[in-house]
Amino acid sequence: MNSRAETTDDDLLIRIAGGDREAFALLFAKFAPKVKSYLLRLGAPGAVAEDLAQDAMVSLWRRAASFDPKKAKASTWVYVIARNAWIDRLRREKVQLAYRDLTDMSEASGEEAPDAAVAREQEETRIAAALENLPDEQRQVVRLAFFEDRPHSEIAERLSLPLGTVKSRMRLALAKLKVQWEQYR
Amino acid sequence: MTLCHHPADEVLVSYAVGALESGFGLVVGAHVGACTQCRVKVGALEEVSGGSLSDLPDASLGAGALQRTMARLGRVPAPAAIDRRPLLERLPLRPRRWVAPGVWVAAVDTPHSRDNRVYVLSAKPGMSTARHRHSGAEFCTVLKGAYRDEVGLFRAGDFAAAEHDLEHLPVVLPGEECVCLFATEGRLKPRGLMGRIAFALADV
Repeated sequence: MNSRAETTDDDLLIRIAGGDREAFALLFAKFAPKVKSYLLRLGAPGAVAEDLAQDAMVSLWRRAASFDPKKAKASTWVYVIARNAWIDRLRREKVQLAYRDLTDMSEASGEEAPDAAVAREQEETRIAAALENLPDEQRQVVRLAFFEDRPHSEIAERLSLPLGTVKSRMRLALAKLKVQWEQYR
Repeated sequence: MTLCHHPADEVLVSYAVGALESGFGLVVGAHVGACTQCRVKVGALEEVSGGSLSDLPDASLGAGALQRTMARLGRVPAPAAIDRRPLLERLPLRPRRWVAPGVWVAAVDTPHSRDNRVYVLSAKPGMSTARHRHSGAEFCTVLKGAYRDEVGLFRAGDFAAAEHDLEHLPVVLPGEECVCLFATEGRLKPRGLMGRIAFALADV
């Protein structure tokens, strides 16, 4: 086996946790352009997307020690960091609040009570099961959110789930995503 | 914790892909933080999102992006301390305003859209709040205590979404004050003089 060719994102993250800057440069080359692409699709102006993509990569460096390949995929982990960097920046970095913190996903804290650790393991098993049983239409909506150059309002509309008025409410809540960016500019 | 009232699946999808407005995302996040069932769903959706991220076409980065980023790295990764205080203590709240005996509101300091309101409201045990009608979407997560309205019983962690056509009269359960986090689109339309005064004073 050619180990050099087999270097995975997991390996890179583990090396980054040890302070390996070369590994960081490799992961940066792979993910920073994707992260910027994601932010542009959420409606971020170019310069903001560029700054936030760099912020996300700095955050990835700082948090690499909490990455555990047994518990999360590297791509999921990078994604959550990118999304949270965006959300935190929108809040002007006051406090990390709304979105699930990475610590929930992969980091077992030393302060954590044993039963909390057990609960976390069960949750991870359940996430894997939930992923397998995820309805196709939900998978599809996630993909739409990433790959279609449409406002999220339209995507919400496409969700033809039998939820009646919930749908109209969601359309309203999502439509203002643009407004948020305008005030940030 | 086993909770009774959850966001609709499409709300969780929007939340997972990062598409909810900040105030609304905050309220959903407060529920997800308290609800194992929804965390599991969101976790699965994040895995799909992670896969989608990898499949996105590359955006071109500015010249020297890597060098600039590398210059910001510490020698070894040093994660920030984890803030494990309850959400209510971590929320950046503006000063409380008493709007009626036993009721205060405090705006949450987030850069939400000017048309929206994001705030915490606390009402004393047994209090019957003003009957009101909604003019837009409203998300609410109970942070402490419990209330009951025509829809059901909402306890700490439960999530409530109000429609524009919902008119309800929430009543706080006895024993403990009830503290809720709200994101509201547009203005509430309270019925009755007392309600109008309270909401006008609150101005959140």
